[in-house]
Amino acid sequence: MATQVLSGGALRGDAPGGINPVGIMPGFVTRDGVTVLEREPAVRNPEPSRRYYFYMMAPAIITLAAISLYPFFWLIWMSLHDVDVMAGDKWIGLKNFERLFTRDTKFSNGWLLLIQYSALCLFFEVVLGVLIAVLLNRSRWEKVLVTVFLMPMMMAPAIAGLVWYYLYNGTFGWYHWFMQSVGLLGETSILGSPSTAMIGLVLVDIWQWTPLIVLITLAGLKRVPRDQLEANMVDGAGEIRNFFQVVLPNLYPFLLIGILLRFMDNFRFIDSVLILTGGGPADATNILPVYLFDVSFQYFKLGRGAAIALTLLVVTIILGMFLVKIFDSPAARNVGRTEG
Amino acid sequence: MFYVPKNAIYKRIPRRKFLELGGGVATALGAGSIAVGLSSVVTRNPVQAASSDDAKWKQYSGTKLVFMSENTPPSFAIRENLKPFYDLTGIEVEILTDDLPVVQQKVGIDLRSGKADFHLNYVQDKPIGAPFADYFANLNDFINDDTLPQDPDGMGADAWFENFLDACGTMYTRDRLIAFPYDSAVACTFYRQDLFEQHSPDFEKEYGYRMEFTNDTTWKNVYEFAEFFKKLRAAGQDVPYGYAQHQGSFAWTAQLDIQRLMFAHGQWTEFDVDDKLGSKEPGPTRWGDEASVFLMEKWKELADVAHPDNLANDTLQLNTVYQAGQIAMQVQYHEFAASIEDEKTSRAAGGKTAYAACPKGEASWIKNGGQAVNGTNCGIGGIGINNNASDDLKRAAYLFSVWSTSKDTQYNVLKGVGGTPTRKAVMDMPGVKEARQRPTDMPNALTFDAVYDYGIKDPHFVLGPKIPEANEYYQIILTEVQKCLSGQQDPAATCESIRDQVDDLNDI
Repeated sequence: MATQVLSGGALRGDAPGGINPVGIMPGFVTRDGVTVLEREPAVRNPEPSRRYYFYMMAPAIITLAAISLYPFFWLIWMSLHDVDVMAGDKWIGLKNFERLFTRDTKFSNGWLLLIQYSALCLFFEVVLGVLIAVLLNRSRWEKVLVTVFLMPMMMAPAIAGLVWYYLYNGTFGWYHWFMQSVGLLGETSILGSPSTAMIGLVLVDIWQWTPLIVLITLAGLKRVPRDQLEANMVDGAGEIRNFFQVVLPNLYPFLLIGILLRFMDNFRFIDSVLILTGGGPADATNILPVYLFDVSFQYFKLGRGAAIALTLLVVTIILGMFLVKIFDSPAARNVGRTEG
Repeated sequence: MFYVPKNAIYKRIPRRKFLELGGGVATALGAGSIAVGLSSVVTRNPVQAASSDDAKWKQYSGTKLVFMSENTPPSFAIRENLKPFYDLTGIEVEILTDDLPVVQQKVGIDLRSGKADFHLNYVQDKPIGAPFADYFANLNDFINDDTLPQDPDGMGADAWFENFLDACGTMYTRDRLIAFPYDSAVACTFYRQDLFEQHSPDFEKEYGYRMEFTNDTTWKNVYEFAEFFKKLRAAGQDVPYGYAQHQGSFAWTAQLDIQRLMFAHGQWTEFDVDDKLGSKEPGPTRWGDEASVFLMEKWKELADVAHPDNLANDTLQLNTVYQAGQIAMQVQYHEFAASIEDEKTSRAAGGKTAYAACPKGEASWIKNGGQAVNGTNCGIGGIGINNNASDDLKRAAYLFSVWSTSKDTQYNVLKGVGGTPTRKAVMDMPGVKEARQRPTDMPNALTFDAVYDYGIKDPHFVLGPKIPEANEYYQIILTEVQKCLSGQQDPAATCESIRDQVDDLNDI
């Protein structure tokens, strides 16, 4: 195919149809086999002033400030006050934080439980999600099964919580009856004992959110380079070795996205926890977001609630940044590239 | 204003079109605002003291009100039958219902933010009344206003069942009245009479007295009934557990559950304050004293012979357990009798269940030198008026408060969906007296002897603790008692932990 390389002046007037009429990007090969190397408008626009940029950005900045920055600063303000509409807000400095860090055992316990809950959910969801995705990948029933697996994820967490509340119910719950029949439970239901309630919550989260990991992993599996797989097989690798040496490293950035999403969700979604246990029994499932909800909207201690929310926000941002940094690491970026 | 290339491929919006679009958006926003605003429209036709009752009822015709209520039978029934009120007043009322914790949040946010999205609020005595008492209008102002219609049976304490007006209407001061009693849930004992009669001979052989429930049945007897049934189960007999507690996730009813035992023994209360009035500064709590530790030990002993899923049994779930025939006895709120007597859903229906007062204190368990009583507590749901609303809206809301708590309305609810009246006069309405005996078409009336004729009266009735931090207090009780019942801490440590947290809560 003959390739005509256009540049500079050619684009200004010589090309059929005038100058690069639809804004073809440099490097693009047109139907006529012309490779566009650069694009220069016939008339250069004057360099916009700084005020021009300001006007352009102002709506976005104002909107962002209204929906994000203002509540953030308001949260900080509340955390430093005893918030009371009738008596008036009273400045109390760092007292809310002092209380949290010195004598509020529910706060420290809430953190520990949140970490435990998130870690258990993430571990099982990632392991099961990858396993299910590998089994589904390129199987004959992939599309049908993926649709079926995705159904729990489509359910609102509050509805999922209600469904499982009834399934776990000690009087008429089918899962309770089943677990009792196979000897996993005694007469106490899974949510009725401090030693098993957390397991009950984790199972619900796994049921609902493993499909997300399946979906993300399946997307990753489609992008595993065949040449790497074939090269590894030429070197004598079997299915399992191939999985660990080629597939899994290639899934790395995809799994990181999944972990990041699930991690953030676990810090935010408390619908099913509120419905299933409300944080009990004996605070066994009183993860920090549930405690935050209670403090703010059951006890209406908005100042203390703001202090808890602020700590949660800071930790979430730090951990999020940490995960993004891993995501941005050379190891993650190089995945999928064939060396040499 | 901005540079636009001559050959720009996007479509220009002419100035006229832009103005048209802007106008359309503004119109839509305006219409939306009006639609939202319509929920609180108020119109007024001035009346005087000498005006007719009809004119007084109609003075706010055309007004729209919103009532945020718990999903209780009266609210459902009244929502389905608002036409008589509309015919009487010309006022439209939108009744929104939800679970109590949600109502508490919504009402709390509305009141504390200075708004009046809900002009009328369900004032569940302690969970809503105690924390938000200052945000409700003083109903005394309306009772004494001769330009407003009043109920012919009166709105004073004598018109309601004993202690009911104090329970939901009086918080911290007698100068203000924040709610009228709208519905009630009073604790009493539900027990399987058929099983008690069947096993009484065997029980008597072992314990030396008949297995029956009277006003003198004590908590010690309850323990022995439960122990007896548990032994039968252990011996392989197909019998239910004897007893179960409300120690599930609903903190308020978990607190009420243990409160009944505590109050029954020497009228023990959490604070040294007037129980009917409550206090914003209740002072040091009594939790941790000898009586509380001893009774916590007894509570744990009771739990050990009770239904094993106690920590999952909140109020509704406990009732389900009883309906399913898994327990022979429960201390439950009398509004649940209708569900127990429903043969479609309950194995305890059909005359198997009898109703009695709450268990009495056991003399040998009293450590504070007080009296043994049938410790009975309640949730008296009031109807209150948001003080943030305008004066006219508050007056219009008062009309609904009067109508919704009237004798006729309560009687219709009792007949229709099984309400729980708060007005004494309802007892004299046709058929109510007869309905107290089987067969009955008002199953809740089967509890009236135990509740209205006995349990709610002094010295058995306990109303508190009315403190602004009531909801956090309940959560502390629930958590620590659950730790005790699950064996994570002993009764003494439980009471001490409660004491420390409650005193910290009240800035002691």
